[in-house]
Amino acid sequence: MWAVGDHRRVPGDAEPQLPHSRPRHPGARIMLPLLLLLLPAAHGIDQVRHKPALTQEKLEGVTTASTFVLDQPRCVFNNYSNAVIWLVVALDKDVYAFNSSVGPGTNETAFQRFPDPVHAYMTLNATLDSYPCPKPAGDITVLRVGSETSCAQDETRPTCNGPLPGPGPYRVKFLALEGSVPVAETDWSAPITLRTAKSPNSNPTTSSGHSAGMIAITTILSILFAILLAGLVAMLVFWGSDSCGSSTFGKQESVSVRRYNTHHVYDQPAARL
Amino acid sequence: MAKSDDCVHILQGLLVFGNVVIGLCGIALTAECIYVVSNSDGPYPLLKATENRDIHAAAWIGIFVGLALFALSILGIIGVVRASRTLLLVYIILMLITFAFEMASCITAATHQDSLTPNLFLKQMLERYQKSDPNKNSDNEVTKTWDELMRQNHCCGVNGPSDWQDYTSAFRLTHSDADYPWPRMCCVLDAQGSPVNLDGCKLGVSGYYNSNGCYDAISGPVNAHTWGVAWFGFAILCWTFCVLLGTMFYWSGIEY
Repeated sequence: MWAVGDHRRVPGDAEPQLPHSRPRHPGARIMLPLLLLLLPAAHGIDQVRHKPALTQEKLEGVTTASTFVLDQPRCVFNNYSNAVIWLVVALDKDVYAFNSSVGPGTNETAFQRFPDPVHAYMTLNATLDSYPCPKPAGDITVLRVGSETSCAQDETRPTCNGPLPGPGPYRVKFLALEGSVPVAETDWSAPITLRTAKSPNSNPTTSSGHSAGMIAITTILSILFAILLAGLVAMLVFWGSDSCGSSTFGKQESVSVRRYNTHHVYDQPAARL
Repeated sequence: MAKSDDCVHILQGLLVFGNVVIGLCGIALTAECIYVVSNSDGPYPLLKATENRDIHAAAWIGIFVGLALFALSILGIIGVVRASRTLLLVYIILMLITFAFEMASCITAATHQDSLTPNLFLKQMLERYQKSDPNKNSDNEVTKTWDELMRQNHCCGVNGPSDWQDYTSAFRLTHSDADYPWPRMCCVLDAQGSPVNLDGCKLGVSGYYNSNGCYDAISGPVNAHTWGVAWFGFAILCWTFCVLLGTMFYWSGIEY
């Protein structure tokens, strides 16, 4: 079986850790001092080399209008056995505004206030036991984002895994927290766009042409009918007169008379006197 | 001459045979059209909801044409055997009228078959399935028919479950996308009628949901009926054409 949408997840293999404890984003040199200013007390968050992605399994519902399905983060957070895994979901345009030090379950990361004013919400709250590593072969291990509809409007459940409010695109990442301190995080995923539904009126309901069968029936029957009408007219026009070439169908008596002699008249030789 | 007599007898024999075949075909056409008219189960509520009843009109015409063909064939046999000009003239004219009606029926049935595109059913399904309007009974009919269709044929939607994702629908207005990406009837159901694995169905794991579309299940029986009316009628008309030509030739040769 598989584990879906519930909050039992277990990270897997340890990715090789970067030698520096400070996060290194390419081209983020400007952000680094800002980050240091904002997090004076934080010790570094380990950057785990894993990129969350949509599941590769052949599922019909990989993306729907308000949910999508990720691969579980198995064998990702192996080195952090005490950590709790959280999923951070943000709109593509708000990704760099996310601050890893904000805690889950607060007003700044409540699902119900996403996407405005909350730019990224946190959900999941799973321990490593949920994601045993390695993954059992043959099982479908996926994580459905947006499966909890019961708490979507419930402000008392800010970590709700509720349905997403629009088609996105969204980016996600996993964050490991020990207590309330973030210890490791993965990369942001590629942008995930959900399906949008269009109106059924956009499809033409009438067929573009007529099928060959219908055209064949119409033309052939019309021709036959025309021939029959022509024949009827010809019949009525030639009523009473002999039609050319055919003989009449009355009875014909043919009598032949043979002439034959009933008597032979012989020349008698001269009689005896 | 004897040869001409033989020709006459052969022609008479052929015409009588032709009329016998027409009579039998007329009865068969009537029986088939009665079957089409009375066969109201299956996907026919969907057709009724499309307000396209052409196939019924064609079938009703077919019933009367069949009976007319049977009666006229008897008249034709009598006229040929008696070599009576008036009887045969009446026969020919009435046959032409019947020919015209049957032609109309065939063309209507063939055109109707063309109009049943998948998009027609798709639009109807999206607009009416699970539309919870207690006033409109026909929407309930559509919903019940679709549920029955999806349960019996193990199919979902017209082209597949993606219909419910790709298009807005009345169903979507009352059922959230996260809980019902597609209707519950699209799930593989157990004996009690509940899904075998609801999560599997919502995810779309093969084996727990129906992945085919129902269009084949709808169009199959409808096409069979339409072909029956249209093409059998066409065959009868071709045969009737030959018999009528022979009768005209025979008529023109009868002694006045």
